[in-house]
Amino acid sequence: MNRAPGARAFLPASGIRGGRRLVLLVVAAALLLVPLTGSRFAATTLTEMLVFAIFAMSLDLLVGYTGLVSLGHAAPFGVAAYTVALLSTHGTAALAATLPAALVAGTAAAALIGVFALRAAGVYFLMLTLAFAQMAFAVAHEWAGVTGGTNGLSGIPRPALPAADLGGAVPFYYLVLLLAGLAAVVLARITRSPFGAALAGVRENEARMRAMGYDTFRLKMAAFVIAGAAAALSGALYAYYNGFVSPDVLYWTTSGQVLVMVLLGGAGTLAGPAAGAAAVLLLQNLASSYTERWTLILGAAFILVVLAAPSGLAGVAARLGGPLRRLRAANPGAGPLPPAPSEGAAR
Amino acid sequence: MGDDRTVASRKTLTRRTLLRGAAGAGLAGAAIAGAGSPGARGFGVPAVLAAAPVKIGLLVSYSKVYGQLGEDITAGMTLYLDGIGWTAGGRRITWIREDEEIDPQVGVRKTRKLIEADGVDFLTGIVATPTAYAIRDMVHNSKTILVVSNAGGNLLTRARRSPYIFRVSFTSWQVSAPFGKWFYDNVARTAALTAANYGFGTESLAAFKETFIPAGGKVIGEVLPPLNNTDYAPYITQVLKMSPEATYNFYSGSDAVRFVAQSVQYGLAKASRTTGAGFMVEQDVLPAEGVNALNIYSPLHWALKLQNPENLAFTRAYRTRFKRDASVFAMQGYDAARVIVEGLNRTGGNTTDKDRLVEAMAAVKFASPRGQFEFDPNTHNVIQNIYVRQVRQIGSDLANVVFVNLGRVTDPGK
Amino acid sequence: MTFYLLQALNGCAYGMLLFLLAAGLSLIFGLMEIVNLAHGGFYLLGAYLGLSIFRWTGSFWLALAIAPLITGGAGFLLEWPFLRPLYRRTHLDQILLTFGFAFVLTDLTRWLWGADVQSLPAPRGLDQSVVILGTLFPAYRLFVIGAGAALALGLWLGLVRSRLGAVVRAGVANREMTQALGIDVAAVFTGVFVFGTALAGLAGVAAAPILGVFPGVDFDILIVTLIVVVVGGLGTFSGAFWGSLLIGEADTFGKVLVPQAALVVIYLVMAAVLLARPAGLFGGRAR
Repeated sequence: MNRAPGARAFLPASGIRGGRRLVLLVVAAALLLVPLTGSRFAATTLTEMLVFAIFAMSLDLLVGYTGLVSLGHAAPFGVAAYTVALLSTHGTAALAATLPAALVAGTAAAALIGVFALRAAGVYFLMLTLAFAQMAFAVAHEWAGVTGGTNGLSGIPRPALPAADLGGAVPFYYLVLLLAGLAAVVLARITRSPFGAALAGVRENEARMRAMGYDTFRLKMAAFVIAGAAAALSGALYAYYNGFVSPDVLYWTTSGQVLVMVLLGGAGTLAGPAAGAAAVLLLQNLASSYTERWTLILGAAFILVVLAAPSGLAGVAARLGGPLRRLRAANPGAGPLPPAPSEGAAR
Repeated sequence: MGDDRTVASRKTLTRRTLLRGAAGAGLAGAAIAGAGSPGARGFGVPAVLAAAPVKIGLLVSYSKVYGQLGEDITAGMTLYLDGIGWTAGGRRITWIREDEEIDPQVGVRKTRKLIEADGVDFLTGIVATPTAYAIRDMVHNSKTILVVSNAGGNLLTRARRSPYIFRVSFTSWQVSAPFGKWFYDNVARTAALTAANYGFGTESLAAFKETFIPAGGKVIGEVLPPLNNTDYAPYITQVLKMSPEATYNFYSGSDAVRFVAQSVQYGLAKASRTTGAGFMVEQDVLPAEGVNALNIYSPLHWALKLQNPENLAFTRAYRTRFKRDASVFAMQGYDAARVIVEGLNRTGGNTTDKDRLVEAMAAVKFASPRGQFEFDPNTHNVIQNIYVRQVRQIGSDLANVVFVNLGRVTDPGK
Repeated sequence: MTFYLLQALNGCAYGMLLFLLAAGLSLIFGLMEIVNLAHGGFYLLGAYLGLSIFRWTGSFWLALAIAPLITGGAGFLLEWPFLRPLYRRTHLDQILLTFGFAFVLTDLTRWLWGADVQSLPAPRGLDQSVVILGTLFPAYRLFVIGAGAALALGLWLGLVRSRLGAVVRAGVANREMTQALGIDVAAVFTGVFVFGTALAGLAGVAAAPILGVFPGVDFDILIVTLIVVVVGGLGTFSGAFWGSLLIGEADTFGKVLVPQAALVVIYLVMAAVLLARPAGLFGGRAR
């Protein structure tokens, strides 16, 4: 049966195979058509959700697939955002220039952090990622001459594309949708590949992978860098979306917020964090308009998820879709693992 | 058996009561609707109910460190709007309140919601300067009138000004610049400066130096602790090493409380005269600071004990209504509401012709609790008096008492 | 020279304050391997409770004595119904639960006590300054140094040297064996958690005269206590003590010597320590 290879890794395992495809089609259709209803507010709200969906999916590559819980994912995100801000306001607004620059900058930041942080594990790794992201925050905060300090950089124009005018809410939305879709497909391909299977192996039992001859440090670095690149993409789009960047974008609460999105949505799938991003944003924006107690609600929702639905929204969806099955953060039917170096050498 | 009948009869009674109630409500509804339409004035309902209400979007911080400022601004606005019956220009006034959470990203999101989804006619509030900068373009491009009731970053009414943005609060320059010269004349010829290291802090020190140094003053040292710093001991020890005659400082919120307390504990307050921008000892932090703040001189555009009829009436009404003393933030909210109301009155409630409304608001002048209030036509920033106050004990409370009026201060605009 | 001595004293006082803050967190992690992310929330709850008790009774010491009891009670309300069922699950789930409670506590305290910046005055007798090295030094900070040292001694005696401590440590090292020996491990865990949150509440009252009491201070101290505990070596008691002193001195001297880096000095120190010794200064093995 011809199933789009990306789709299966994208959605949570559910009993009905056709159902997964259907859900994907319905969501895609909705995302394509909703802006045409003419509501500018709907388009901008969805744009923000898509930006954070990319951000959350990128973190999930680390948390759900590789088992690396990072509290510093704001670093590539923020560095890319500032790159876009600086280039757009002082240099060129051409997307062809700003986007690659932002990706390079964000990925470089992730690589630099990874080299140091990945030498530790568990809570120590978590704290190191936090530390490095906070250092980036401090630079943005103190280097006021370049980054605008606490006042930030505002007046970021929309990206300039030769053929299109992205000033309006709807055209920009479609750009973000296109990039989000690309990111999702690429991430899904990665998780489905032998490399993705190796990451899962590292998550399950790193010692065993090492015993089998894998260079787990290289694997983790690769995951860290790829996640950083995807986060950089979302950071660049975020700068364009807001038209404004301030040091808060690098503060640990941003890292915490995206982690909440991943965990609420369900680590270990890609659709989960995307849904988690949408859910958290909805809660933040909607609930806070009606009650001052929305932080309490978020906390309670979190507690509820941890107690009753540990696999997050994705887990709930999976359980609704098919027979009760504990959702395992696995890649069902992933390809064979790449031959371990020792095996190759023995031949 | 008997129970069933009773239950049934209770049910029927309930249903009948419901039907009666519904009929009654329907009649009443029809009556009101009928009265609402322009033709039917028979019930004596005023025409003001006929037009759509004016929507004000109030975006301030209700959470985190500056939560009290948001509450104060809201209280000030409520006091004024209650006083005029929530109507202006022949239309009813309603508002939608949102929390900016001292996070510019949240501020942008909420502003977008207020402008695009709620379609507000006016936006007001904005406690934090970064938020103001973040939403500036959105406000300008959508031609939404913004009445800033706090954010004091200089650029907002200078390089980044917009005809649609009015500021009824202050610029950091306005508060500190006039004080530099007065400090030289009345406090000391040399000064040590400290401030929380962020926009508001550094702008305030720069403004102070603008008039202090040309007057002949000498700055013997500058120390900039980070924002949200907990332990000022290392910094105070550094300042003490300079043996200053007097200091000028900028802190607000919890930073102010901690700095003021620790400067007494470490002997800085005794070794030199402490002065600071008004926010360091304003009513929001003064109760927590207590006697540590006694005798501190500070410049600001208002004081609780400012003696003029409008302020006496305002502070008395505020105290009666909210059981606490007013603060400069409450006063700013009060004036923001007044500016919007007077603008509406001048255009007869017309909020669709933005340019006419902007013109009307720019011309607003009145006697405010702070003194005479008017806008600078070029920058739409308020022109106001700056007062030097001193913290004194009045009965069992501490309050800022006005010492000197430094006169009208207009922000240079560039 | 006096200047640097004074700064060293400042650093010591700040370090002891950090130890008071970090003790509860370190205890819970050391004995239960749970990073209690609601630690800041319990701290703040203790501070606000102390404020209220002080306002009702006029006594700082009563506040210091009673607030931790109530905070410990709140800790019990978290542990028994919510945390206990999660002992079978991964540590990540347990940590996430405490994270949810961090949000709940931060909003709850704001709801009950308002958003004002408040402060708790130091008790009479300690609210003055004494002359040390030629300048004034607040007596209350000396009290904090003393209290920190006393707590350190008390915890060391109680945990390392007592039978109760041995029981607790055994329960963590090997739950089944300890249970087999007839010890109710679940009750021990509850006790430890309650004690840890009570310590957080105690720190809340003790630190209030210095840090102030207002929304947001809970997450501020959560970050700094996490750093302290990680630097020292998670789960080791001497780690928490020496980690606090190191961070206290580093932060103080960092502010004096490298003011531009004031925001990041403690992060740099933590990164440096972890890169040299991945399990912290006194951590046995990297977790």
